[in-house]
Amino acid sequence: MKKFVLVMFFLSSAALARGEQEISFAHQIRPLLSRNCLACHGPDQKKRKAKLRLDIREEAIATREGDPAILPGNSFKSAMYARITSSDPDERMPPVDSGHKLNTDEIDLLRQWIDGGAQYEGHWAFTKPERTESLLVRDKAWPQNGLDTFVLSRLEAENLRPAQEADRYTLIRRLSFDLTGLPPSAELIAKFVNDKSPEAYGKLVDELLASPHYGERWARVWMDLARYADTQGYEKDRTRTVWPWRDWLIKAFNDDMPYDQFTIEQLAGDLLPNANSQQILATVFHRNTMTNTEGGTDDEEFRVAAVKDRVDTTGVIWLGLSLGCAKCHSHKYDPISQMEYYRLFAFFNQSADADRFGDEPVQALPSPFHYRQHVDILEKISIAQKKLKLSGPGAGHEAITKEIAGLKSQLNEKVHKMKLAAVPVMQELPEKSHRRTRILNKGDYLNPGDEVEAGVPESLHPMDGSFAVNRLGMARWLMDRENPLTARVMVNRIWSRMFGAGLVETEEDFGTQGALPSHPQLLDWLAIEFAITHRWSMKKLCRTIVMSATYRQSSQLSPELLKRDPLNRLLARGARFRLEAEMIRDQALAVSGLLSRKVYGPPVMPPQPEGIWKTVYNSVKWVTSKGEDRYRRGLYTFAKRTSAYPSFLLLDAGSGEVCLPRRIRTNTATAALAALNDPVHVEAAQALARRVLLEANGDAPVRAAFAMRIVTGRPQKQAETEHLVQLFKAQLAHYLGHKEKAVAMATVPLGAVPENMDTAQLAAWTVVASVLLNLDEILTKG
Amino acid sequence: MNNAQKQYLQAVTRRHFLARCGTGVGGMALSTMLSGQQLQAAGDHAALNPLAPRRPHIAPRAKNIIYLHMAGSPTQLELFDFKPALKKHDGKPCSKEYLDGKRFAFIHPQANPVMMGPLFDFKQHGQAGTWISELLPNIATVTDELCVIRSMFTTQFNHSPAQLLLHTGDPRFGSPSMGSWITYGLGSENENLPGFMVLASGGRTPSAGKSIWGSGYLPSVYQGTQCRNTGDPILYLSNPKGLDSTSRRRQLDALRDLNEIQHRAVGDPETISRIAQYELTFRMQTEAAEVMDISRESKGILEMYGAMPGVKSTADTKSVGDKPLAAADDPGFANNCLLARRLVESGVRFVQLYDWGWDHHGSSQPEDMKSHLPVKARQIDRPIAALIRDLKQRGLLDETLIVWGGEFGRTPMRENRGGRYGKFVGRDHHPFAFTMWMAGGGIRGGQNFGTTDEIGYYPAENPVSVRDLQATILHSLGLDPYRLGVMRSGLNSRLIGPTNEGKVRSEILA
Repeated sequence: MKKFVLVMFFLSSAALARGEQEISFAHQIRPLLSRNCLACHGPDQKKRKAKLRLDIREEAIATREGDPAILPGNSFKSAMYARITSSDPDERMPPVDSGHKLNTDEIDLLRQWIDGGAQYEGHWAFTKPERTESLLVRDKAWPQNGLDTFVLSRLEAENLRPAQEADRYTLIRRLSFDLTGLPPSAELIAKFVNDKSPEAYGKLVDELLASPHYGERWARVWMDLARYADTQGYEKDRTRTVWPWRDWLIKAFNDDMPYDQFTIEQLAGDLLPNANSQQILATVFHRNTMTNTEGGTDDEEFRVAAVKDRVDTTGVIWLGLSLGCAKCHSHKYDPISQMEYYRLFAFFNQSADADRFGDEPVQALPSPFHYRQHVDILEKISIAQKKLKLSGPGAGHEAITKEIAGLKSQLNEKVHKMKLAAVPVMQELPEKSHRRTRILNKGDYLNPGDEVEAGVPESLHPMDGSFAVNRLGMARWLMDRENPLTARVMVNRIWSRMFGAGLVETEEDFGTQGALPSHPQLLDWLAIEFAITHRWSMKKLCRTIVMSATYRQSSQLSPELLKRDPLNRLLARGARFRLEAEMIRDQALAVSGLLSRKVYGPPVMPPQPEGIWKTVYNSVKWVTSKGEDRYRRGLYTFAKRTSAYPSFLLLDAGSGEVCLPRRIRTNTATAALAALNDPVHVEAAQALARRVLLEANGDAPVRAAFAMRIVTGRPQKQAETEHLVQLFKAQLAHYLGHKEKAVAMATVPLGAVPENMDTAQLAAWTVVASVLLNLDEILTKG
Repeated sequence: MNNAQKQYLQAVTRRHFLARCGTGVGGMALSTMLSGQQLQAAGDHAALNPLAPRRPHIAPRAKNIIYLHMAGSPTQLELFDFKPALKKHDGKPCSKEYLDGKRFAFIHPQANPVMMGPLFDFKQHGQAGTWISELLPNIATVTDELCVIRSMFTTQFNHSPAQLLLHTGDPRFGSPSMGSWITYGLGSENENLPGFMVLASGGRTPSAGKSIWGSGYLPSVYQGTQCRNTGDPILYLSNPKGLDSTSRRRQLDALRDLNEIQHRAVGDPETISRIAQYELTFRMQTEAAEVMDISRESKGILEMYGAMPGVKSTADTKSVGDKPLAAADDPGFANNCLLARRLVESGVRFVQLYDWGWDHHGSSQPEDMKSHLPVKARQIDRPIAALIRDLKQRGLLDETLIVWGGEFGRTPMRENRGGRYGKFVGRDHHPFAFTMWMAGGGIRGGQNFGTTDEIGYYPAENPVSVRDLQATILHSLGLDPYRLGVMRSGLNSRLIGPTNEGKVRSEILA
């Protein structure tokens, strides 16, 4: 407990703990050692200088010639202290050419730590989360759940008050984007705002969690991690069929598949006993690695590259560790040796794929999309299942069970008769053809060293003896209760998508070089809620977070608070940050009424500027989708690795080549140009203008107010309407005098002006609509 | 003191100014909202403007760079590395020592590949008596500006990984490109234009795709912006049809007014950044459209480059199978060379040209070394010579570094794809030795650096690695290649890779 109080002081901008207080090794000393010393005096044996290792206490205090590096309790007899304070440039540590430097405060901190006994402790993230029920707070009325006490106690220690709850319009928009990635519909807003019952908010949360769009929103998050793309990558970048897996993902989120099952099926669904088609489909996850079909490539080189990618990606997603560092040499900071890297590699080294032209092995599998084509049977099953729940034991119960089984086999039969696409899957080689795994010197596949057996790193929890030593066992090991990392890493990821930054800012790195958690007890509390209380239910985790008072705070901020906590690490206000690329596009389509809400299916090709695809030796063309498919949600857009969808790329989306643990938000003029001029956005503005003329009867102020309302989802302010009316009038006058321009503005690319609509009016409203779609408020989640 | 050095001193002053007054409007517009950790990763970069001009680590020799990448990898043996001895071996079986234990992309070592002498003649030019192919008569006239490096080598022998290694420092995907690193390190001199621009010709984008101008793990504000030959010169630059500039101005005014209302209500400084971001679009539209319009050049200049404004490249329309086939007078590359000059003149830091069509395996007509290589050579010869001359006459050559080359070289053996010889002639991928040249800012021109053995198989003297090349380029621009990096999981991730094997080759520099 004492430790965390101190952490608060340490992290506080107001009060940097000084004087002879207890020093936290984990939060103060290790980062210093790690940054400045461990590259030469750390875990990497090959790079170790003077045979001195400072990350392990026994070695740091061991007797050496002269003084020990560290003599606990006596800095003046510690060689390390002498070296870091030496005035002789040849003696001084760290050496000048290392580029590292300790300042006087840091040196003083090390002195105090040595004088205080040089206590070491394990890295926080490698020890299991500890449950603290809640913290004592003065303001008993504010917390909505346990989560809030951790935030509030910190605020109270800083003499800060949480912000008031955001208004309902803000809340519903925030919730809707966080849970479904879409803006709320006008009906839903009206219902929520007018619902005066105390349960209104909770009911809204449940409704959004049950929306089919919930799965789409979180699938997109996972697709970044899974380096999803519809092509193989590298030079030829040929099309590959993996979208059925994307649909598996959407369904898994919508069904609230527990995270342990979600993990095990994706990593090793093929190895489960009696694996069904959906469990095999799940394994496409690790077949999203690239395939190089460039002429004259050595398949083994790129097979090995793909296996490494699987190790690295698994490390980032489930362990929050940069295992990749250890493929060339032992990790310099985290206790992962090069041998241990290749022991993990061995788990993935037995799959049959080998950088083949057609991504073999492939298998024709039905996906949720195919099942969706038989809605009638699905409905019958769902009705029967409801009946089953209500019926007690007895003959009736049995009959219904039988009925369901019959329906299911009927469904399966129909689905398997459909034309199914072959997707690349994980498939284990037969035992007799197992590959040997060797350490690759400097990571070079042509330079193999000692042979290793599959196994897990020693510094992490051991693998349960009952688990098979294969991919499946490894997946089970990741989800083991003893694993200190997996739950923390996932709750942090979900937190980050809602708050704009994780409790641990370096979502991809929970190792010793990563950022420290801003609220360590909260992180652990959430991890335990997720893994144990809620049995890995992601929906329940989301619910816990969004039900908190912390989440519901207004994002308004005063200059004082901005100065005190510019990055909102203390959470004294709600989050406010720019929406993701796909959300910005989906929102424009949604408010203009164009959006297709169709879930699942093959990727689509919405309009993209000509000449974007000019890949070598690949004649596949971008053919703009017709009808509804032109307006599908962003996650269904065909993703070509060598040529990602340009407007998404400008807004920080990835290209699907490597695991993207988080998108770093940037705001550039070229991105703003896309939001203003991209035909997709122009089309949305045109459709919005038509809505205005069709649905709002009245003069310009009435129509402007209507437009403002459907885009922002909140009542407009007088001043806002006035600006819009002014713009409208100026543009109307302009277009009355420029008929051709008016026609173009109102119709390219959406199409002819509907009957009974005035072209100049429509053009002028289109200009207004485009402004609305580019408002800071609209591009931002507030 | 050359111009670049003068500006280095000015940058010190300007930085002072920026620190006192905050950044300009455009500066704020481009602000990345990095988190604390990312800011830390970004070092001491101004939080508000990641593209503000920054002071170099060391005195720079050049301010800008124009990198001419011949995608597919041109043959050094027909262009710059003259091997009379190879002529003697022409048609004779390749000796075993060059085949055994070697990897080739397409050569069948068992099917007795033969050696192939240079297909074209060479002559000596300039003060150092540099051998240059008859295919490059115009470039030969500027020989004294060039430092020809014949002893380049790489570790990758497939296009995509080799291009990635060269441009991102890593044969695998995910790392920032050289242009991203340089704009990250130095910022941009013109806030109304992107600092890193990419111009592609030859009908295809390079094998490694857009990732070789991607920003990798750096914020995407550092990604290269592609200038296009068709449609908008920069994606989404022009207004929608029916919206003129006055109307756009009105739109932006309304947008600003509404955003200001929002800012008064919420108080988030991001809203102010947003206003500035949108203001910048207006200036970018004006300036970019102007800069990219090469038809504003005089007839004399257009002729000098062989540029033809508005003429559609034949490479975009004509092809054999899936390979574009451009005519010798195709202006695609020439237009881009002229555009490159206009861009550096306007303060764009890094201009990257890619010209596709240099993968002369001899397996089809567009890959035939006898008939198609002269066509490709003609497309680049005049424009490159013009670029060097034009920069020089404007006083820009000594502050602009020019780099030319492919991603690897080509074999001294004739390629025998499928174990046989057909009607076309070509050479296979060769990572062990190839030629690049540098010119302009800080380069000691009129010299040859490094040699290869008598058949051009391996470097004989002064081998130069891809890492050396990267280190030397960064150094020329005033960046310390060992320091320029960001901490990721404790690793100082850099263009030149994790080890310090890459060296600044001062022999190349003036």
